[in-house]
Amino acid sequence: MFEYVQYNIAPWPWQLALYFFLIGTAGMTFVAAASPAVFGKVAEPFENSQKSSLIVSLLLLIVCGPLLISDLGMPERFLYPIIYFHWTSPLSWGSLFLPLFGAAIIGFWWGKIQDNAQLMKWSGILGSLLALSMPLYTGLDLMVHQSRELWSNPTIPLLFVVLSMTSGTALVSVIGMLSGGMSEAMTRLIRVVLFASVGITFWLFLGEVVTLWYGTGEELHAWEIINAEFGLRFWVLTFLVGTVVPLVILILPSMSSNPALVTVAGVAGSIGAYTFREVLLYAGQLTQIYY
Amino acid sequence: MTVGLQAEPSYGVPGKKRWAMVIDLRRCIGCMACVCADKAEYDVPLGVWRTTVKVSETGTYPKVKKHFMPRLCNHCDNPPCVRNCPTEATYKHEDGFVLQRYERCIACRTCMAACPYNARHVLPNNRSRVKIGGVVDKCTFCQHRVEKGLVPACVQTCLGRARIFGDINDKTSEVYRLVGTQNVTVLKADKGTKPQVYYIKPDRTIVDQEHTTPKSAAAKSDAEAFYRHNNGSKFFAGVL
Repeated sequence: MFEYVQYNIAPWPWQLALYFFLIGTAGMTFVAAASPAVFGKVAEPFENSQKSSLIVSLLLLIVCGPLLISDLGMPERFLYPIIYFHWTSPLSWGSLFLPLFGAAIIGFWWGKIQDNAQLMKWSGILGSLLALSMPLYTGLDLMVHQSRELWSNPTIPLLFVVLSMTSGTALVSVIGMLSGGMSEAMTRLIRVVLFASVGITFWLFLGEVVTLWYGTGEELHAWEIINAEFGLRFWVLTFLVGTVVPLVILILPSMSSNPALVTVAGVAGSIGAYTFREVLLYAGQLTQIYY
Repeated sequence: MTVGLQAEPSYGVPGKKRWAMVIDLRRCIGCMACVCADKAEYDVPLGVWRTTVKVSETGTYPKVKKHFMPRLCNHCDNPPCVRNCPTEATYKHEDGFVLQRYERCIACRTCMAACPYNARHVLPNNRSRVKIGGVVDKCTFCQHRVEKGLVPACVQTCLGRARIFGDINDKTSEVYRLVGTQNVTVLKADKGTKPQVYYIKPDRTIVDQEHTTPKSAAAKSDAEAFYRHNNGSKFFAGVL
């Protein structure tokens, strides 16, 4: 159909998939770092890795900014979404929240250096809300596209938040292991968070599959594309490696108390957190590429 | 409900203009003069188009039929590209045009992702004559001509008079009469975009969304060359 003429591009390339992953990870790493100041005793086990988590979160944010800007056709105009703010565009909100999130991280860090508990608490609360907005706005960025049925789905922002919880917590876990191992309390806390996020991912994955099975013409087409072009990434890396393997590790008592295995579960979940978003981003664009 | 638009939808609003196009597919002969007129009017670079004519064949020899499907921006009354643009670089004119402000565009390509008609493209940076590049571009319904009382370049040049342009709110206009009396359809009406390009008597097979990859050897080869030329992938950041 429609032979012999021109072909269309998928406008959003790998930079966006990587950005979605990194900014979500940065956000949830900060939430973990700020949680002792925000939630008090219940999050105390994260205190040991607080400084390293803060630094890593800031570094990721520093990587994300140029990554996003370099993807623009007019990188020198990167402030325009704030200057010419358009309230119905999630990208405008994201551009506004991104520097505010950076400021909150620095504010929290400054509070820690000054040993100012009040500053840490309020910058932690504000920063955590802004951190939550990072995966939320990237999910909304897809959800608002009424013409892309794979994206136009209210579970997408929730999915992106949950995937970021997995990758952020996994990063905190890796930091904990690299800085001399995790305590029993920290292992338990990370296990609980990972279990919740990977468990929700499992149900959202099944929800996505069922939605596509019973979907409209475009959703059925997306299903075909996912299986034909991204089968390895969807079934093996997202479902098996990114969801089933970590769930098994986190469920079995003999494995879930081992800090190294919990970290492995987190890293496996992070692989799925990346590939799930990548598949959704790409397949959503491919459904209309020949139209 | 329409949100995030700079001008309210004007279709059917008394006293307001709503420019629209009717494309009579019975008359289109696939000469591509409209494509050339657009290329000439705007110095559209190689590899991108403001308007295209899609071609398909049905049947088997000797009973074969060729179908032509002119395509362009649908200047929707509820345009998703406008709502999603983070800088309001793309905006809705009160007369119904969906236009682009090059000086504001950051080429984030959100509008391209939002458009269900693949009507947008990125202008390359390295253009020799016209210096506008690195931004998203699209059909403007030739607003600069229409405001001077002329018709769009593609309409002017259409030798079969398949393209008819006018104010659909004007009850004496040809587009109003054609839309009211002929069997017309719009593309992807289910997306809620309220497109303002109407097609007369289209074959259903060329209006419905087709999901297939290129079938003929020539089309496959063309597609491979296109993607090879563009970083060897279906995913690339335009021709920046």
